[in-house]
Amino acid sequence: MNKKESLAIVQDWFTKQNWKPFKFQKDTWKAYEQGKNGLLNAPTGSGKTYALWVPIVLELLHNKAKEGKLKKGVKALWVTPLRALSSEIEQATLRFIQEVFPEITVGIRTGDTPQKVRAAQKRKMPDLLITTPESLQLLLASKKYNQIFASLNAVVVDEWHELLGSKRGVQMELALSRLKTLSSSLKIWGISATIGNLEQAREVLLGPQSNQLKNAVLIKARLKKKIKVQSIIPKSMEKFPWRGHLGLHLLDEVVGIIRHSKTTLIFTNTRSQCELWFQKLLERYPEFAGELAMHHGSISKETRLWVEQAIRQETLKAVVCTSSLDLGVDFAPVETIIQIGGPKGVARFLQRAGRSGHQPRETSIIHFLPTHGIELIEASALKKAVKNQAVENRNPYFLSYDVLIQYLITLAVSDGFYPESIFNEIKQTFCYQSISEKEWQWCLNFISYGGESLKTYDEYRKVEILEDGLFKVNDRGVAMRHRLQIGTIVSDAVLAVKYVKGGFIGNIEEFFVSKLTPGDVFTFAGRNLEFVRIKGMNVHVRKSKKKTAKVPSWAGGRMSFSSQMSELLREEMYAASSTFPDSDGPRQKLTLELKALKPIFKRQVQESIIPRPHQFLIETFKTREGYHAVFYPFEGRFVHEPLASLIAYRLSLLTPISLSIAFNDYGFELLSDQEIDVQQILDNELFTSEFLMDDLYKSLNATEMARRKFRDIAVIAGLVFTGYPSQLIKTKHLQSSAQLLFDVFRDYEAENLLFLQAFTETFEHQLQEERLRLALRRIEQQQIVWKKCEKPTPFSFPIITDRLREKLSSEKLEDRIKRMVKAFT
Amino acid sequence: MITIKDQHFTPDASGVLFWENKEILLVADVHFGKIAHFRKYGSAVPSSAITVNFKKLDEAIKKYNPRKLIFLGDLFHSDYNQEFKLFEHWVKQQNCSILLIKGNHDIVHPSFFKKANLEVLPHLIIGDFYLSHKPEHKPNFFTLCGHLHPGYALRGLGRQKLRLPCFYQTENQMILPAFGTFTGLYLVKSMPNESVYVCTQNEVIKVQ
Repeated sequence: MNKKESLAIVQDWFTKQNWKPFKFQKDTWKAYEQGKNGLLNAPTGSGKTYALWVPIVLELLHNKAKEGKLKKGVKALWVTPLRALSSEIEQATLRFIQEVFPEITVGIRTGDTPQKVRAAQKRKMPDLLITTPESLQLLLASKKYNQIFASLNAVVVDEWHELLGSKRGVQMELALSRLKTLSSSLKIWGISATIGNLEQAREVLLGPQSNQLKNAVLIKARLKKKIKVQSIIPKSMEKFPWRGHLGLHLLDEVVGIIRHSKTTLIFTNTRSQCELWFQKLLERYPEFAGELAMHHGSISKETRLWVEQAIRQETLKAVVCTSSLDLGVDFAPVETIIQIGGPKGVARFLQRAGRSGHQPRETSIIHFLPTHGIELIEASALKKAVKNQAVENRNPYFLSYDVLIQYLITLAVSDGFYPESIFNEIKQTFCYQSISEKEWQWCLNFISYGGESLKTYDEYRKVEILEDGLFKVNDRGVAMRHRLQIGTIVSDAVLAVKYVKGGFIGNIEEFFVSKLTPGDVFTFAGRNLEFVRIKGMNVHVRKSKKKTAKVPSWAGGRMSFSSQMSELLREEMYAASSTFPDSDGPRQKLTLELKALKPIFKRQVQESIIPRPHQFLIETFKTREGYHAVFYPFEGRFVHEPLASLIAYRLSLLTPISLSIAFNDYGFELLSDQEIDVQQILDNELFTSEFLMDDLYKSLNATEMARRKFRDIAVIAGLVFTGYPSQLIKTKHLQSSAQLLFDVFRDYEAENLLFLQAFTETFEHQLQEERLRLALRRIEQQQIVWKKCEKPTPFSFPIITDRLREKLSSEKLEDRIKRMVKAFT
Repeated sequence: MITIKDQHFTPDASGVLFWENKEILLVADVHFGKIAHFRKYGSAVPSSAITVNFKKLDEAIKKYNPRKLIFLGDLFHSDYNQEFKLFEHWVKQQNCSILLIKGNHDIVHPSFFKKANLEVLPHLIIGDFYLSHKPEHKPNFFTLCGHLHPGYALRGLGRQKLRLPCFYQTENQMILPAFGTFTGLYLVKSMPNESVYVCTQNEVIKVQ
């Protein structure tokens, strides 16, 4: 079969489906056929799956025609970040190959794949394998894995933007570095939604110095999609809350939207918010029963699949969901999207908006529901961000020693490795391009001697070095524990929620369960459940008729505004300030959202001001909780967090004081039991950018942040064994808290690379030094306006009610204890 | 100084309790061998941390110069490993007699303790006091024990919070904090007739 013929088959198939190939699809086919690698920038539901499966399958057709039969082993890997998406992809693949090339086999290999199927795959691998980054690592941890991948032609990494900014992305880089050596004809492709740094995303995927990058393309699917943002504006601002995060007061407005649309997806930011919305909607509108569903990551897989199927069959009116429905899964019938609360990211907001109106050229409408007054400013800024496509970057990780150590042990567990060849491979990756010989030796020493020189009493056992220099794990216990622990997503221990009489409902974090006592009623998966007991890794519950219940809180990643988004936010603020009488600048035109906020702005001005471009606002007031000082840089959470800790640290040098710190995307707060002397902050120029890094390192807060980062690092590098959620293994004697380990390292081995990595990650990923420096420079040029207020202002409210806080103290511990004791006796 | 049943006790910031009248030093939950145990199973905890428990013990012995040293259980974290040899060596250098009340973690074969010249008992009665590993209620006796790793959370104005190891005294028992480094805390909530003494680096402070 020649190229012309095979292309004709494809064209034919597309015609049969009543489809016309898009330009980006044809471009991708052509590039692949020319042996190129690349990154395809296309949104979900655009037909990106066929952009790559088509040329991959055609290549197999050619190979078969040339060689008479297909070689053994996997021919193409499709890597997806969510295992829930794998069956979706399999369906799409089958639909195509069954007509075009039916003898090709497709298989799925994820954490959900039964042991029996996996064993069968090991005997005979399917030609096309759909898998996750973790399961791919597990394949690398199995004996004779090189045979599996010897005839691999292609790897497609789907939703690469999701992996890029995480350690799973690093895991992917490492796996690819191995596969490049194992297979000579490998082509690597990524698929990514729109992010700010697409070029870099491609470089990371292919490797900065690699031949693959030299022979690569970046294809953008320019599908014109109009997105319209519509804020749900409360009728009366008087009753609208100043804080809160649920948004339930606008429930009736949401119902109006649901009624007017075929299917509506309601996106919430957290799972607890999702549970509450679902419950309240049904409570107030019982007629929705049967037409309303809920979807989030903790609900059982069966239920989730059922919901997804129901959306496709148009039997649901609305689904309350979380980011669990952000990715993949094409839902044609979805007409309307509602976003509850700030999405904290333009990319995410766009992606969610794109879930509706799947017909090309149809306008996607997304309704934004503010959960508190100030969020309307965010809505106003979001509108502009969508218009300008001000999309965030996803920053790749750099020198993650934890992932490298895990990978090296993975290779040692399977067939063993020789350091030189692996060193050359990993140096080709983006993450480890600058790793030094010394650091590499440290990693080798860490896995073989536990990071020490040989001592007589030491019994450290993990990787052995054989006579010919092969690094190999021979201990079966070590190998088993390592396989169980592969994966870089670290979460709290997860327990299964089951009825006493049996029947799995979903998973829940241990953190929440630990706060329950038997008899407590909590809401989960839309039901009110009575907590009976914990048995092993199971939470036993029974149905409850009680109306009021606790709602589980799940720790979710808190996103931060990008710098572009922060700038837009400030501009909205300045626009609002220009409409007040004492403004000197020209009066700006306000958006609907800002107009609606007028009453709140008025309250703000009564007590304080709305800052103008040249002003930096500080408010102080006293409440029952103590003395508050609130600062408003409007730079986003990632800047406010280090800035707050910096100012707190510098203040603590001037006077012995204990501070509690809170921050959000608008500003930050210092809270103390003694009055905070703002004049002292101003007189001593505490906002200077001089000695910035030095001071940041010294602030206790950096240590605390690093301590939290260290938890993931310790698990990934195999320092702590977490066991396995659904399997009860006797590992209690090996469990310890990463917190304790952190202290041990700090006191005894502060030069440990994993310990240092916790700090690097804090400074590079969380603190964003450069943005902080720019912010300080901006503040240095502003005029500081210090308002001593009688009571909390509308701006301050969302900040001072935040419960997640950092602490800092320069007082003697003994003094603090004595004062605390005194205050309460 | 704490007085219980006419006997005087000094709680120390390191977590030991010194019984003044009898010159006995009480130490709970050292968990020797924990670090070596982790290393044996492939978790690279710095082995230099092993020496710290010995150093801390040496300092406490120097400070109080006891006639007798009693470990209130969980002396050794796991089954036999090389850290036990270090412990054996340490025992030989001591002048006072040493006794172990067996804890749930003390699963090392008794012959090893014997070889180390260490008397092992399930519990012990001295006068009005009952010494055990786990908290136990014995009528007419006051219990001195460990096992719990008690810690106490303090709260103050301005949302301040502190978590510190503590001595936890109830009506008829005193629970010692865990002596070992690399051990966690179990936060206790005290009743009105109970006392809590928290340990800082240098001081013991009664907070309740």
